[in-house]
Amino acid sequence: MGSSAVGIVANPLAGRDVRRLVAQASVFPNSEKAKMIQRLLAALGAVGVTDAFVSTDVGGISAAVLRSLGPDPAAGRPEWPTVHFVELERYSSTAADTAELVGAMMGAGVGAIVCLGGDGTARAVAASCGDTPLLALSTGTNNVFPEVREATVAGLAAGLVAQGAVDATTVLERDARLEVIAHSRVETALVDVCLTRAASRGARALWDVGGLTELACVFARPDAIGLSSIPGLLCPVPRGAGHGVVLRLVPPRSAPAVVRAPIAPGLVVEVGVASWEHLHRGRPHMMGTGGGVVALDGEREIELDASERVQVRFCTDGPVRIDPSATLAEAAQRRLLCTLPAGAYGPGLPPSNDTP
Amino acid sequence: MSDTLEHRSAEPAELSADQLLDAYRRMRTIRAFEDRVHEEFATGDIPGFVHLYAGEEASAVGICMHLDDGDTIASTHRGHGHCIAKGVDPKPMMAEIFGRRTGTCHGKGGSMHIADLSKGMLGANGIVGAGAPLACGRALAAKLAGNGEVCVVFFGDGASNQGTTLEALNLASVWQLPVIFVAENNGYAETTASSWSVAADNIADRADGFGMPGVIVDGFDFFAVWEVAREAVTRARRGDGPTLMEVKLTRYYGHFEGDQQTYRGDEVERARRDFDCLKWFRTRVTTNGMLDAAALDTIDAEAAALIDDAVAEARSAPLPGREDLETDVYATY
Amino acid sequence: MARKISYRQAINEALVQEMERDENVIVLGEDNAGGEGAPGERDAWGGVLGVTKGLYERFPGRVLDTPISESAFVGAAIGAATAGKRPVVELMFIDFMGVCFDQIYNQAAKFRYMFGGNAITPVVIRTMYGAGLRAAAQHSQALYSVFTHIPGLKVVLPATPYDAKGLLIQAIRDNDPVIFCEHKALYDTVGDVPVESYAIPFGEASIVRSGGDVSIVALGRMVAVASEAATELAGAGVDAEVIDLRTTSPMDTDTVLESVEKTGRLVVVDEAPPRCNIATDVAALVASQGFEHLQAPVQMVTAPHTPVPFSAALEDLYIPDPSRVVAAVKLAMEKGS
Repeated sequence: MGSSAVGIVANPLAGRDVRRLVAQASVFPNSEKAKMIQRLLAALGAVGVTDAFVSTDVGGISAAVLRSLGPDPAAGRPEWPTVHFVELERYSSTAADTAELVGAMMGAGVGAIVCLGGDGTARAVAASCGDTPLLALSTGTNNVFPEVREATVAGLAAGLVAQGAVDATTVLERDARLEVIAHSRVETALVDVCLTRAASRGARALWDVGGLTELACVFARPDAIGLSSIPGLLCPVPRGAGHGVVLRLVPPRSAPAVVRAPIAPGLVVEVGVASWEHLHRGRPHMMGTGGGVVALDGEREIELDASERVQVRFCTDGPVRIDPSATLAEAAQRRLLCTLPAGAYGPGLPPSNDTP
Repeated sequence: MSDTLEHRSAEPAELSADQLLDAYRRMRTIRAFEDRVHEEFATGDIPGFVHLYAGEEASAVGICMHLDDGDTIASTHRGHGHCIAKGVDPKPMMAEIFGRRTGTCHGKGGSMHIADLSKGMLGANGIVGAGAPLACGRALAAKLAGNGEVCVVFFGDGASNQGTTLEALNLASVWQLPVIFVAENNGYAETTASSWSVAADNIADRADGFGMPGVIVDGFDFFAVWEVAREAVTRARRGDGPTLMEVKLTRYYGHFEGDQQTYRGDEVERARRDFDCLKWFRTRVTTNGMLDAAALDTIDAEAAALIDDAVAEARSAPLPGREDLETDVYATY
Repeated sequence: MARKISYRQAINEALVQEMERDENVIVLGEDNAGGEGAPGERDAWGGVLGVTKGLYERFPGRVLDTPISESAFVGAAIGAATAGKRPVVELMFIDFMGVCFDQIYNQAAKFRYMFGGNAITPVVIRTMYGAGLRAAAQHSQALYSVFTHIPGLKVVLPATPYDAKGLLIQAIRDNDPVIFCEHKALYDTVGDVPVESYAIPFGEASIVRSGGDVSIVALGRMVAVASEAATELAGAGVDAEVIDLRTTSPMDTDTVLESVEKTGRLVVVDEAPPRCNIATDVAALVASQGFEHLQAPVQMVTAPHTPVPFSAALEDLYIPDPSRVVAAVKLAMEKGS
């Protein structure tokens, strides 16, 4: 039996970067994130989770959840788990907030964490949540790691996993990741790492592929949005393949291969690929000569000095990801969400194939 | 790179060394100006209300680096930084703040009304939210002339709640005007927290309701502001209409000089230590070898000397007299 | 060559002639063409009372309909004026100044002074004022004295079609912000108006009727009321002089003082309520600078200190009429020496 507690982390800043200006990226309001948390809570309550640890923020998400608890928040709502708001002493509005919030939830013994945000949010949570199962929900359309899924269904899955009601070996998958080692810091990417000739981190989000020289991906799906769509359309690598992929990028006019890739919502651009190869465990790839900026999961993060290089390693110790489809399939097989008359399946109900 | 992307960036994709030096000079001059006005105000020799821009330099400069003299800006009561970023001469500005005849407005405007139309600076403004409708007018004139000029209106989190601002956002979108609305959210309208007074989660969220893009940008990072502004200005010049940028930042001083700031936490201390836009800029351009520290040190010294001169000249400049009282009310009367 | 046209047509003609003369002249306001974005006719209205009708077709791109956002579009007109345009913006009813006043009195009026003489703001704000259309308390006021109070603004109140055209042309060519007040009950009045373009300078009152016994100073629609009273008084042997101020800022104080010097008696007729209006301003002028010429107390004929009522029975009582002017003149003639 697992824990009867689940953590919920929502990033208030996701969804307002420059891609709203340079492309037609969607806008995901914080009020909708608050509603997603309420739907998660309803689902967690329905599968018997007793405690939910919810992140607090200064962007209005946790405030809206608090309001939804009614005039006496301490009394809670009977159909929901007891809601504990995890507070920080101070908020920096950076990824450090996420790390601290996740740390506190781990300390409280949560059996699963649901995070709401984009690739950046998932990356920050994954870096701190260790082996705690993670379910990342996308709040927007520009994401590869988090999935677009109704929060109610996600809540059922997370609740079942947290309580150990389903078989971990079937419903959980250990993802790979890329470890990025610069001289002063070590970072993780869940989807892709790239090097751009940009002079600075600028507005963080990366949308101009003109300056890209190298790209490494954990996996590459043909139906992805973002940089991983470039190998996804040229040399796809499925999740769980045991290796990643590295590409050297050049201007299309001098490139042996040109890919038309959806690198951001509303932006399908031509990208020139000089060469590509698989990235294997234990064989680090060196990136960078002459400065530039390294972007992790589509966000420019590490500004290199002129002589600096970074090491990119393919690692198989990424986050433990909850597969909601597998989880609910198993729940159905075990009739975990059904109540049946004793000894019979009742009129019109098909016989079960297995013994509950 | 595709045609679409190349076409999108009419503005240069990266800054040259000269531009970086220019940006640093503007930011450093603003900081030196404001720090000095803070000191001079304490002597009691500066009359009236003074609202300082220190800490917010990356916003004004990151945006104004994309503007020419034909482009215009409308400003706020916290306008010194916008003036300097747009190229207004700091010496007459200082004289104006001291109420001298040699001031930008001959001593008739003061800190809250410094304007230099020859530089496209439409004036600081003592009325919160008054700039946005005026900016629509400048942009309308540019659009009718088809000259590609744009108008930037700076306003604060307080003004984001004013009807004038909201009306102007709507009108700019209805008329597809080349306006860039820049909400400088420094966290406080006087003493009142924007997290309380702005009912939306972010000011940028309001853009959706007015049919324009809304973007949040880190106001401590010159490069982030510069890059977003490049896209917004390009969009406006191209005739694609207005943009709302929310720049999140912190003012280093009080609402006005004399504000004891008892309502604040320790965010100024932390910002000065960890995020200061000048420090951040210097670190970036020196570690990546774009500029060397000596060139920046020279600018620091030159800015300090310029402000020393500005104060000395202002203090010794004549005051306006009775003969000035009734002039400049009308062009003809 | 003059011919008879209406006050409405005179304003329209002034706009046409100035728009032809100077391409920087633009016209904007709510429904100034009408039908923007709608499936039917463009230029559907030409302003709510048809004053700007026909300009839209004639001057493509220079007549702009606006959302109902007075702060935004009056402010935009002011902003455009600082950029070299000469906008004529319509504030449909003067009563709506409350939703955009900041842009007028804190912005347009003050730019020149605040900026040390380094700005001009050549904007004209055309606006409709006055009672008589049963439009009730929020669409009938005579608020020109509020604008007259503000340094930096000029305030114009044409009483005739001739003045409407000449004063509007002057307003458009003027480099200061002008509040151009059109009385809604005058739009259909007809008078001689030259075909050619002409400008009437500001600050020059018009002596509508010369007389030696009493000076009646009036403005806007009250000029006709005063003239009617003067005609009646002439029958009773009183020779009244009627002065139309035409502009309240600047105001032609010389003409008023010279008239009182001649007649020794002053009656001021103002459609506004009695406190701090143009009547009190003129009375104060004469009391302070022409007291020695006065042979009787100054009489003021104004609206009562109430909002404008709706019912025709009440509104007719509210608006100063010739009989009240006659009574005031008789009082002025009886009192004093």
